[in-house]
Amino acid sequence: MRRFMYLALWTIFVFLFVGLVQAQDTIKIGFFAPITGPAAADGTSAKHAVELGLKEVNDAGGIKGKKVELIIYDDRLNPQEAVAIANKLIEKDKVVGVVSGSYSGPTRVTAPIFQKAEIPMVAGYAVHPDVTWDPTQKKPNDFIFRNGFLGEVEGAAAAEFAVKNLKAKKISIISMDNDFGRAISAGFAARAEKLGSTILTKQMYKFPGEKDFRPFLTRIKEGNPDLIFAAGYYNEAASIVRQAKELGITAQIMGEEGFDSPKFLEIAGPAAEGVIIATNLDRDDPRPVVQNFLTNYRKAYNEDADMVGASSYDAFMILVDAIKKAGTDPKAIQKALLETKDYNGLTGKISRFIQGEVVKPVQIQVVKGGKFRRLGVVDNPEVITPPLKQ
Amino acid sequence: MLIQQLANGIAIGSVYALISLGLTMVYGILRILHVAHAGIYALGAYVGWFSFRLIGDFWLSLLIGMAGSALAGYFVQRYLYSPLLHLPRIAPLIVSIGLFIAMEETFRIIAGPHTLTYNARVGLGDLSIGNFQLTETQILILFITGLILVILWAILTRTRTGLAMRACAMDAETTSSFGVNVNAIIAINFLLGSAMAGAAGVLIGVYDNQVWPTMGSIPAYKSLAIVVLGGLGNIPGTVLASLVVGLAETFFIGVVAIPFPRDAVAFIAMILVLMFRPYGLLGKA
Amino acid sequence: MMSGYLITILITVLVYAILAHSLNIITGHAGQISLGHAAFFGIGAYTSALFYTQAGVSFWVAVPLAALVAGLVGIFLGIPCLRVRDDFLAITTMGIGFVVEAIFLYIPFFGGAMGIGGINLPHWFGREMTKSEYFFLILIVFLLLLLLDRRLGRSWIGLAWSSIREDEQAAEAMGVDLVRFKVLAFVLGSSIAGLAGGFYAHFLTFIMPQNFGFGQSIVILCMVVFGGIGTRWGPFLGAIILGVLPEISRPIMEYRTLVYGVLLLAMMRFQPGGLLGEESILPKMLRRFQSHSSEKG
Repeated sequence: MRRFMYLALWTIFVFLFVGLVQAQDTIKIGFFAPITGPAAADGTSAKHAVELGLKEVNDAGGIKGKKVELIIYDDRLNPQEAVAIANKLIEKDKVVGVVSGSYSGPTRVTAPIFQKAEIPMVAGYAVHPDVTWDPTQKKPNDFIFRNGFLGEVEGAAAAEFAVKNLKAKKISIISMDNDFGRAISAGFAARAEKLGSTILTKQMYKFPGEKDFRPFLTRIKEGNPDLIFAAGYYNEAASIVRQAKELGITAQIMGEEGFDSPKFLEIAGPAAEGVIIATNLDRDDPRPVVQNFLTNYRKAYNEDADMVGASSYDAFMILVDAIKKAGTDPKAIQKALLETKDYNGLTGKISRFIQGEVVKPVQIQVVKGGKFRRLGVVDNPEVITPPLKQ
Repeated sequence: MLIQQLANGIAIGSVYALISLGLTMVYGILRILHVAHAGIYALGAYVGWFSFRLIGDFWLSLLIGMAGSALAGYFVQRYLYSPLLHLPRIAPLIVSIGLFIAMEETFRIIAGPHTLTYNARVGLGDLSIGNFQLTETQILILFITGLILVILWAILTRTRTGLAMRACAMDAETTSSFGVNVNAIIAINFLLGSAMAGAAGVLIGVYDNQVWPTMGSIPAYKSLAIVVLGGLGNIPGTVLASLVVGLAETFFIGVVAIPFPRDAVAFIAMILVLMFRPYGLLGKA
Repeated sequence: MMSGYLITILITVLVYAILAHSLNIITGHAGQISLGHAAFFGIGAYTSALFYTQAGVSFWVAVPLAALVAGLVGIFLGIPCLRVRDDFLAITTMGIGFVVEAIFLYIPFFGGAMGIGGINLPHWFGREMTKSEYFFLILIVFLLLLLLDRRLGRSWIGLAWSSIREDEQAAEAMGVDLVRFKVLAFVLGSSIAGLAGGFYAHFLTFIMPQNFGFGQSIVILCMVVFGGIGTRWGPFLGAIILGVLPEISRPIMEYRTLVYGVLLLAMMRFQPGGLLGEESILPKMLRRFQSHSSEKG
């Protein structure tokens, strides 16, 4: 037993030192994601996708002859670890820019730190509105950019499609209780009511780990809605659609980008057929940037890419694009990001950033034959332009 | 609709019972807050999943899952808990927490962070009468929970081992002085409790069609609360507490629709009961 | 001038050290296991954050208020805890932790799932404190708490607590007022945790309910037990080791949470008293060293 303990200790130390051997003349980009702990699945997807992007950039000769080096940290979904990571990236690693592959909590606490240090950060899919906004000074964090939609925007786009195209009059909402679920369902409810539909019930379920949706769904069934809008991530979403089917609910189920994972299709099985989602990834998009990513991801990791991965990949590539244009001075990179115009991204063509928020069309997808297929696009500027924060 | 909600409540209550029964057995003799029970539950799900992938038979994978969990439980008891029994109870509690964290991480490292699907057909068929639905896995969970209760009752009241177990639960030292091999009794007890956790892991993995590294996180505390509510170590009390919690949660979410999370409902119920019965629903001082 | 990275880690460790000490009063000194200590940490953080952002109260008032409110809630929640003992108490406190987290999450007044942002570092001399100055401020508070801890340990309150810890019934028979001393431990522990919460909120600038959940309670408890429950320096040592471990283990990335779990397990399995517990290696070595040198002298 004692010998085993010594062995374990030595292994730890060897690991510790291996990590310290690095350096050279490279362009350093920081990255953090929840690689261990409760959100490890999303963190790993984000890490995989960004590493794929890194390989593509370096295989193509890097940026102006210099290799890009990705400094990866695990935040365990823990905000105080994220604070330490932000400081470390700025001071020890001296990165020129940062990509967040994490949720809102860790991203939100690092935003003011990067803003103060004037290091640009592009967030992949964190939705909290205050990531790009300083609530004390009432001004935008102009070094922080977001590639994912604001919850309100995506929710409103889903409502636009639900009411205008699917003609839903009576709607029930069931949403995950975190900032993502709250923001997206609030956006949905506001737009749907504005367009003249009635919201029958609004229910919240605990995140993470809720598995029994029968009490919620039985209550929804009582109201007999035309459409159920469900905001949540794919594990919970899959349980919702399965259990809705078991309870004999026939209303159209509509979801959002949290559903957008091959795992949703796998877990929900036949119950997923016909589910409609609002997301940012269009798998039927013929542009090479989309098709190459999907193929390469499959090839590299032997699994299909999801929304989290695609969004983080895009965030990384947007930053790389800005470095290509502006060089390695963080302020110049920020300026290039502010001037982004009609960027050809994996998750859609980005026309520009407003207060750090992305402007791009929202994709509507439907599950058909066990696959996400294109159903429509919401590009009504009234809906997809992020509301000005003040 | 109320009848459907009642069925929903009983279904989730029996899921809770399935996970908590093993825990309360273990507690009855060792008096350890065995947080890692939820890790053994997840282990059962993983072992079952893996053997299902290899063999393709649900019933066999259930047995293998149970065996895997039982074995893991035995080692935990033998090498981690037994040497600490004479110490203040906080020491084994922390060992248990450390073990649970390590187990979750091991699952993630070996089987990957993503959810695995355990798409087994049981072959019973769903039950549907008018507006009232029960799926085959729900029926199976009800059935197996019942079966486990009967088997436990038979072991505890009809066998010598069961008698020894009950004696150990009351007073291990005195039992030992009557020539009973207490260590063996503890081991058997732990094997049984862990096998139940494994069964729960497999069944719930199939029920949700999901097996994932942190699937034990919620059962880890939820089952502790249920076991306490039932009166620590009390088997009928645990079943009663599981149903009370399942029905209370379902009722407050589905009928009263208070905007409060499931766990808080369960814990408020638990604290209220403990104020009036400090040793749980069916527990004795 | 220390680097921001180092300061960040030092502040985190200090906040945990204060928390570990506050829990040590309840669990170590008075012997009442608590699995919901993060609730009081959260109550402090939310009190301070709300007074600061909503009422415009300055840091210097908001943080003491955090301690006060957490202490008052500690009385209120300590009372149900008097009805139950041992493992029932442990699970009751765990339940309290969940209910408090749910209240932060579900009542819009507390900011709900969106949390509360814009909680800044304190101002003094007409400018914002630097992080280093903030660190020294917390350090001073921590040292004062250590002094308090020492005085308490030597007073009759400390004696009463240890009698309750060792044998509740015997203590009661000897005339120790159980209710009074248990509540005192809860109030003191809770209000110090609230104080830590206030410091934490202003350091993090943004708080959300999940920061104060069951996992956080477990982290704090592990620090206390790891270092040596009931000892004076144990909780501090535990906070240092378990607080710094996630940072120094960064290079092993995927395995670092595993290492954390295994370390916890191995430590408690082989040194169940904690690093500084009576029977553990460190104090034994220290004693041997002392007796060795005194023989020579």
